[in-house]
Amino acid sequence: MSGRSPSAAVRVLSIEEEARRFLRLRATVAWETLGSMFAFARLRLSLVVLLSGLFWASLYGLFLEAFTFLAALHADVVSLLFNAFFSSLMVMLVFSTGILLYGGMYCSTEARLLLTLPVRAETIFGHKFQEALWFSSWGFVLLGSPMLVAYGVEREAAWPYFVLLLPFMIAFVVIPAAVGSMACMLMVAWLPRLRVHAVSLAAAAGAAVTAWIGWSMFAPARIDTMSAAWFEQTFARLAITEQKLFPSWWLSSGLIEAADVGRGPGGTWAPLLEALKFLALLVANGMLLHLMAGWIARLAYRRGYSQLFSEAPPRRQRPIGWFDQALVNAGSAAGRPLRLLLVKDLRLFRRDISQWSQFLIFFGLLGLYFLNLRSFVYNNVYASMIGFLNLAVVGLILSTFTTRFVYPMISLEGRRFWILGLLPVHRDQIVWSKFLFSFVGGVIPCSALVLLSDWMLGLRTPLLLVHEFCCVILCLGLSGIAVGLGARMPELRESSPAKISSGFGGTLCLVISSLFIMLVVIIAALPTHLFLLTHALGPTAAASQGLLTWAAGAGGMAVSLGLVALLGLAATAMPLSMGLRAFRQLEP
Amino acid sequence: MIEFDHVTRTYATKTAVADLSLAIPRGELFALLGPNGAGKTTTIRMLVGLLRPSRGAVRVCGYDVVKDPRHAHLHIGYVPDEPCLYDKLTGREFLWFIADMFGMPRHLAGQRIDREIEHFELGDFADDLAESYSLGMKQRLVFAASLLHDPDVLVLDEPMVGLDPRSVRIVKDLLQQRTREGMTVFMSTHTLAMAEEMADRIGIMVRSQLRFLGTVTELREQMALESTSLEQLYLRLTSPLAGRETAP
Repeated sequence: MSGRSPSAAVRVLSIEEEARRFLRLRATVAWETLGSMFAFARLRLSLVVLLSGLFWASLYGLFLEAFTFLAALHADVVSLLFNAFFSSLMVMLVFSTGILLYGGMYCSTEARLLLTLPVRAETIFGHKFQEALWFSSWGFVLLGSPMLVAYGVEREAAWPYFVLLLPFMIAFVVIPAAVGSMACMLMVAWLPRLRVHAVSLAAAAGAAVTAWIGWSMFAPARIDTMSAAWFEQTFARLAITEQKLFPSWWLSSGLIEAADVGRGPGGTWAPLLEALKFLALLVANGMLLHLMAGWIARLAYRRGYSQLFSEAPPRRQRPIGWFDQALVNAGSAAGRPLRLLLVKDLRLFRRDISQWSQFLIFFGLLGLYFLNLRSFVYNNVYASMIGFLNLAVVGLILSTFTTRFVYPMISLEGRRFWILGLLPVHRDQIVWSKFLFSFVGGVIPCSALVLLSDWMLGLRTPLLLVHEFCCVILCLGLSGIAVGLGARMPELRESSPAKISSGFGGTLCLVISSLFIMLVVIIAALPTHLFLLTHALGPTAAASQGLLTWAAGAGGMAVSLGLVALLGLAATAMPLSMGLRAFRQLEP
Repeated sequence: MIEFDHVTRTYATKTAVADLSLAIPRGELFALLGPNGAGKTTTIRMLVGLLRPSRGAVRVCGYDVVKDPRHAHLHIGYVPDEPCLYDKLTGREFLWFIADMFGMPRHLAGQRIDREIEHFELGDFADDLAESYSLGMKQRLVFAASLLHDPDVLVLDEPMVGLDPRSVRIVKDLLQQRTREGMTVFMSTHTLAMAEEMADRIGIMVRSQLRFLGTVTELREQMALESTSLEQLYLRLTSPLAGRETAP
């Protein structure tokens, strides 16, 4: 070391000291965030806690029923299901942690600050790794804990099982997270040019494998769903996930052993030892991989950060597309400003990879699921019910998009308001253009998906038309809610759409949208369901008399569709008119 | 204090900085000027270790910023073009975090934090969360943080953006005082008046190359324009035609 000595006031820290300081930073930030939420966002916090609790309780009930049902079927079923669930989760955690870490370590302004401080690269990695681990695996805890608790309750497991649940889950998630982070750092440092191609290839390969597994699981045999033969075939195909070298196998085996503690003759505790061995295996591997990731960070992080900015952003001339041009020129001159605004939003959407890629992934996965529906054989009642549930799922996914991307649109115009304010455009047209953009962008994929679902389910045309009608109403209502509330409660100073949509207005938008979807689907499904039930029960059943007969007939259907239309009108018009009024008076 | 040794930095096929050799001694205030895209920010990012040179080496107080970034960073204070703070930390908490990261003893850190809060007049909002700060307040806080450990080298990337005239005066006075005490300042700026008023030497980068290095007087002499302002000299040197005139 040939450099000049620093003043006595400063020194490089040991790795433990650095870690302690980051821990203190995280604790302070977490404390302040919680304090702000309690002080300024109590409603949002209460809603999040309440909805999470409801979600957890519903899942717990569902899993308890499922495990009770499966317990009578076959002893190995649970092991197979656990392996399938945890192995798919493992793959998802590798990708999600890698992507989150890429954002945190290479694209955040915090990383830029930390890299100019006298801190080790591996400590910065550790700090960002914890953050990525938290964000990528909280969903696993929310989804996995009710399932595992329900399994323990059904098995009447002793207390060690419940005590070991959390250590098992934490030890497990570290492994795929470390693998994902290593892949991310190596790819950024040594494959900068190939990064986009490598990720695209990996994603395409992952999607192909998933599609193949899904297809091979359901497609070849059109055996009656839920029959013993169907179960046997499905489980035979799921056996691929039972590899003893997979951490998912260690996790599921450890949990199953832990659930057996105190069972058998004399209440043996031998399974506890087995469970602890599996836990130790998970912990040891997690720690080793974390150490390896830290070592890679020391070698590759600063190099990768510098490498990443070696790539000059591509400068491509983007010609005006024929579609945009046609859209601008179509229609009257009076509507031209509105169409110009629409084309502007369309271009922004097309050029924002985060928007259309999420759109594509979610609707693509849904399409894949719908394509697999034809592998099952249903009776009419099930098919109808699944059709309406699919409609609700399409609506719920659309509502997440309208909340995440459409709701913030007006707020995001804030910084550009001086441009729009100086244009010869009425403010109403800005709001209407967002509404049209959202409605048209939503109704095309959603109605196609509903059509696909109904086709695969083999539903009859009248029911298909009912579903399509409800789908259009949902798209109208969800667009009205998102645009109307977005214009009513704009946050013009905020530039991050994620922050806007996760604020009070965004949460309110999501809650109202969910309620709207539930109401529409329940009101539309009721007469159909009653009709099918009365036919299933036969003409002598008491349920087929009086009011129920009317409700299950054409009259009931007409009233239900009328109510759906009224509800859609209210959900579209009320928030929009509120939003239009507020936006006209807005002073940026 | 600062040494660029034949430093080249390329972005794919484009050269952002070409064979830059530059040494800045202790106690000098150096201003790097140049049009947008000339390579100033790349130069600064290499100096603070965010980017690595494709060729050559950058040394601060004798430490290579690529090979020994932590020891080099002990000597550097950095004010970036966009202030980065933690929204959920107060100004005072942020200053404590920075002091801690430089391993400063608690009692000394406390004294320095109070000193910088007073220097940059942060007292009124030092205990508010940074999310409520204006751009100017954030910039003053970042200045305070960069000076906490009394760095040997202060690196400033467009330092006056967002500052009100009073804050600009405070910063100017402080820079003059610190350079008198031996601190080296490396500053990138578009504010020519400030460079003319404060810099001991200036460097003018044009299309990735250091086209001029010296004092404003030397620049006048070189261009044979005695009574011309720095602005006129700068415009002449950086005009697109200038490159063609000087090209072999």
